[in-house]
Amino acid sequence: MGQGKSQFTEEELQDYEDLTYFTKKEVLYAHQKFKALAPEKVGHNKNAKLPMAKILQYPELRVNPFRDRICKVFSSSNDGDCTFEDFLDMMSVFSDNAPKAVKAEHAFRIFDFDGDDMIGVSDLREVIERLCGPELKLSDSEIQQLVQNVLEEADLDDDGALSFAEFEHIIDKSSDFCHSFRIRL
Amino acid sequence: MEDDMEGIELKPASMRRTFTLRNNVARQAAVNFMPSRKVAHTGTLRSRRANSEHNALLEASMSDAPDAADKQADIIVREMEQHHQLMEDNPLSEELRREALRDLPQGLTMKRNVRAKLSASVSLRSKQRPISVFKRMKYRISFTWKKSRDSFRDFVFSIELWYESIRNIEGHLGSAVGSYFHLLRWLFGLNLLLSILLISFVVVPQALHTGGTNGTSGISFLDFISGTGALEDTPLLYGHYHDGDTGAGPLRYDMAFAYFFTMGCAYLLFFGVLCYRTADSYRRHFIEPAGGGGGGGGGGVRARLAAKLFCGWDFGVASPRAAALAARALAHEFRELLNEQNRKTEAASFWVRLGRRSTNVVITTIVLGLIFGVQYGLWLLLSVDTFTDHREIYISLIITAVAAVCPILLNFIVKLEFYEARTAFYVTLARTWLLDIGTLILLLVFWTRSDMPCWENRVGQEGYRLVMLDIPVSLLLLPAIEFIRGLMFNFNVVKTAPEFNIAYNSLTLIYNQSVLWFGMLFSPLLVVAVTIKFLLLFYVKRESALRACQTGKKVWRAAQAQTVLLMLVTLSLFATLFALGSLFLRSPSPHCGPFRRYASALGVLAEGALRLPERAGLRRALLFVSRPGAVAFALLALCVSVYIVRARSGAQQSMARLLRRMLQLQAKDKDFLLSAIEKVSNGEWLYSPKSEEYGADSHTWKYLHEVRKPSNAGYHFDVSRLSHSFLERPRSYAKENRPNSYQTDKQKSNEDGDTDSSFSWQGSSSYLNQTDAEKR
Repeated sequence: MGQGKSQFTEEELQDYEDLTYFTKKEVLYAHQKFKALAPEKVGHNKNAKLPMAKILQYPELRVNPFRDRICKVFSSSNDGDCTFEDFLDMMSVFSDNAPKAVKAEHAFRIFDFDGDDMIGVSDLREVIERLCGPELKLSDSEIQQLVQNVLEEADLDDDGALSFAEFEHIIDKSSDFCHSFRIRL
Repeated sequence: MEDDMEGIELKPASMRRTFTLRNNVARQAAVNFMPSRKVAHTGTLRSRRANSEHNALLEASMSDAPDAADKQADIIVREMEQHHQLMEDNPLSEELRREALRDLPQGLTMKRNVRAKLSASVSLRSKQRPISVFKRMKYRISFTWKKSRDSFRDFVFSIELWYESIRNIEGHLGSAVGSYFHLLRWLFGLNLLLSILLISFVVVPQALHTGGTNGTSGISFLDFISGTGALEDTPLLYGHYHDGDTGAGPLRYDMAFAYFFTMGCAYLLFFGVLCYRTADSYRRHFIEPAGGGGGGGGGGVRARLAAKLFCGWDFGVASPRAAALAARALAHEFRELLNEQNRKTEAASFWVRLGRRSTNVVITTIVLGLIFGVQYGLWLLLSVDTFTDHREIYISLIITAVAAVCPILLNFIVKLEFYEARTAFYVTLARTWLLDIGTLILLLVFWTRSDMPCWENRVGQEGYRLVMLDIPVSLLLLPAIEFIRGLMFNFNVVKTAPEFNIAYNSLTLIYNQSVLWFGMLFSPLLVVAVTIKFLLLFYVKRESALRACQTGKKVWRAAQAQTVLLMLVTLSLFATLFALGSLFLRSPSPHCGPFRRYASALGVLAEGALRLPERAGLRRALLFVSRPGAVAFALLALCVSVYIVRARSGAQQSMARLLRRMLQLQAKDKDFLLSAIEKVSNGEWLYSPKSEEYGADSHTWKYLHEVRKPSNAGYHFDVSRLSHSFLERPRSYAKENRPNSYQTDKQKSNEDGDTDSSFSWQGSSSYLNQTDAEKR
C-alpha cells in the first residue's frame, strides 16, 4: 500500500481501459479522486463500497440537483451506494469521450424518477422543481404550463409521456447537451 | 402513475392515454418484435436501447432474483450474437466487440460478465483457419494504430496544461466561462507550436549567421515598446533577415528558402487546422441540431423548452454559490419563455415590424458608416507628416484605445435595435471584428503604398506595438476594474457582482490573434510575444475570474458561441492570407529582407525552388495554367460544381422532409394498429364494439366503415383469388351488395364443404354487418 505505487495491476487497468472511456492514467486519477472521498476505507480495499452520503461529497455531485438519482442510476446495488467501479462508470459516462447516445441513455434514466421507462408528467414536474432550486419556487400553474408545453413540443406520439426515442430526439436537436452533461475528473 | 395523471388537467385524449400507459410494457414488447427492431444493426451497433428495454421487461417480471443479473447478461449476449460482424474471431470484430461492450448502458460487473460469455461463445463458433498475409498485415496495422492512439491520449492527459485550473473555474463559474479559458489555452498551444517552428527554422539560423553579439545594450523603454531604434536591426523584424546562404562548408542553408517555406507552411498549416476545427464545430453545433432537412426549422420539430429542461443544468458546476445562481437563472429563463409564449398570441402588426426592421437597417448603416469613418480618420492621421517624436506610438495608442472601447460602444448600440439576444450578440461580434480586421488591412495597405525604403519593417513594428500596447489594457486595466468592482460588491457598495464578460474577453483574444496573423510575416518574433502574453493572460484572468467575478445572470449557450468565435479566428486568418497574397507576394521592397534577390516573393518559389528560367516546359505549363482563361475556366467549373451540390442538397432536404412526414404517419399507423390488436386480444372487437364511443372522425370508425365496407372493390378483388376458407368472410357482406358473387361463392364452398376455419370470421363479420345495418 505504498503511497506512490498503484493499487492496481496492469491487467486490471487494461480491463478498465477496455470497458470505460478512460485511459489508464485517467483511471488512476479517478481512483485518486475516489480515494479522497474516504481515504482509509479505500486505502484498505481499493474497490470499497462507499455509502451515498460519501459519494455526494464529490464537489460536482454535492450541488447537483439530481445527485441522488445519479448515484442510484450508477450504483450496482441500486441503492445509491457506489463501489469504485460504479464511480468509474459514472465518471466515464460523464467524460468528454463518451458518445452522445450513451450519455443520453443515462440522462434518460436519471430523469426517469419513477423508473417506468418513460418520462411522464410527474417526472417532468420533478425535474423542473429540482432545476429551479428550493428557494425560488415557480407557482403550480406555471409548472403545469411548462409541463404541458414540453409535452406539446416533444411528445410526438401523444401518449402523455416521453419515451426514450422522443427524449433522444430532443437531445439530438440540442447543441448544448454534450457541453452540459459532463463532469470533468 | 394514474394517480399523478389525475392530478393535472389533461388533454382531450386523456382517456386513451391512461389506457395506453397501462399497457405500455406489453406494447413495448410487441414493438420490439417488429421487423424494424429486428434488423441487424450495421455500422453503429446501437443495440443498447433494445437491450435495456428487454431488461426493463425482465426486471418487471423477476425483480430481485439472485440470478437476475446472469439472465440479463444472457439476454444481452444473445442480442449481440445476432450481429455477425461482432462474432467473428479476428481482431477487427474483437475491436468492434470492445466498442459495443463499452457502449452498453450497464455497470462494469455486467459488462465483464457479458464479455466472458461473449468470448466463450466466439471461441466456440470460431473455425480455426489460417488468415492471409494481407489480412494479418491489415490487422496488425490497425492494432498498432489503435495502440498508438491510446498511448497518445494517455500522454496528452498527462501533459494537459492547466487541467485543474480550468476545472476549478468551470466548477465556480460554469462551463461557459470555462469555454473562454479553453479557447485561450488552445490559442496558446497553437502559438507555442508556431513559435517553436519559427524560432528553430528562421530565427536561430539567422542568429547563428549574424554571430550573436548584437548591440542590445542601448534599448530604451520606448524603443522596447515600439520596436524602433536598436530593435530595428534584430531578428524581431523582417528587414534584418539575410537573403543568401548561411552555414559553413558543404552544408548550406538558404535563408530566403527557409523564410518563405516556413512562413508558408505555418500559415497554410494553421489555416487548415482552423478550417477543419471550425467546420467540425459548425457541423456539430449548427447543422446537426437543425436536423437533416430542417432548413430553417420548417420541417424539424423544435423543442426549445424541452431542450432547456434536459440540457439546462451544467453538470460541471461544483460550488454552491454558482449552483444557486444557475438555478435562479434557469427559473428566470423558464418564466421568460412562458411569458414569451403567452405574449405570442398577439402578433406584432405589420407596421410595428416594419418600424423595427427599418430601425435595424438605419442603425446598421450608421454603425458601418462610423466604422469606415474611423478608418478614414486613421488613414488621414497616418498620412499627416508631423515631426513629433514617436508619432507612431501615438497612432498605435489610438488604435488600441479604439479596439478596447469600441466593443463596449457597439454592445451599447445593439441594445437600441430590435434583435433577439443571441442575434444581438452575433451582430456585435461581427461589427467588432469588422472594425479590427479593417484597421489591420488598412495599416497593411497604407504601408505598402508608402515609399518607405523598408515598409515591411513598419508593418512588423506596428503589429509589435499593438501587441505591446494592448498588454496594459488587457493585463492590468481590465482586471483592475473587475477587482475594484468585486471589492465594491463585497463591501456592499454596489448590488451586483461583476460578471465575467465572455464576449468581450474572447474578442480581445481574437483581436490579438488577428494582429499576430498580420504581423507574423514581417516580425517572426511577434509570435513569441503573443505567446508570452497569452500565458500571463491566463493567470491574470484566472485570478480575476475566481476572486472577483460571478456567473452571468443569463444562461449562456456555450456551444454555438464557441463556434462563432472560432469562425472569427479562421476568418481573420483568411483575410490575412488574402491581403498578404495580393499585397506582399508581388512587391516586397527591393533593398531589405530575405527576398531582396528576387523580383517578387513568389520568385523564391519560381526561380529558386523550381528553377523556372532553366526549365522551359514547366514554365510554359505554369504560364498556361495561370492564364486568365484557365483561371476563369476553373472558377466556372467550381461554380457549376457548387451549384450541383447545392441542388442535390436541396433535393435531399425535400426528400428528408417527405420521409419525416412519412415517419410520422407510420408512427400513427403503428399506434393505431397496436391499439386495434389490443382490442382484438382483449375481445372487445368481437363482443362489444361500442361504436358510439368513436366520433365520426376516429380512425377506428373510419376503418370499420370504409375499409371493411363490402363495396370496397379492391378488397373484393383480392378475396376472390384467395383460398376457399377465406372466401367465407366476404360472403356475409356480399349478401347485401353483390348477390351474384354470393351465389358463386356459396356454390363453391358447398362443393368443398370445408368451412370450419372460417366460423369465427364469419361470426365477427356478420356481427359487424348487423351493427352497420342498425346504423342505417
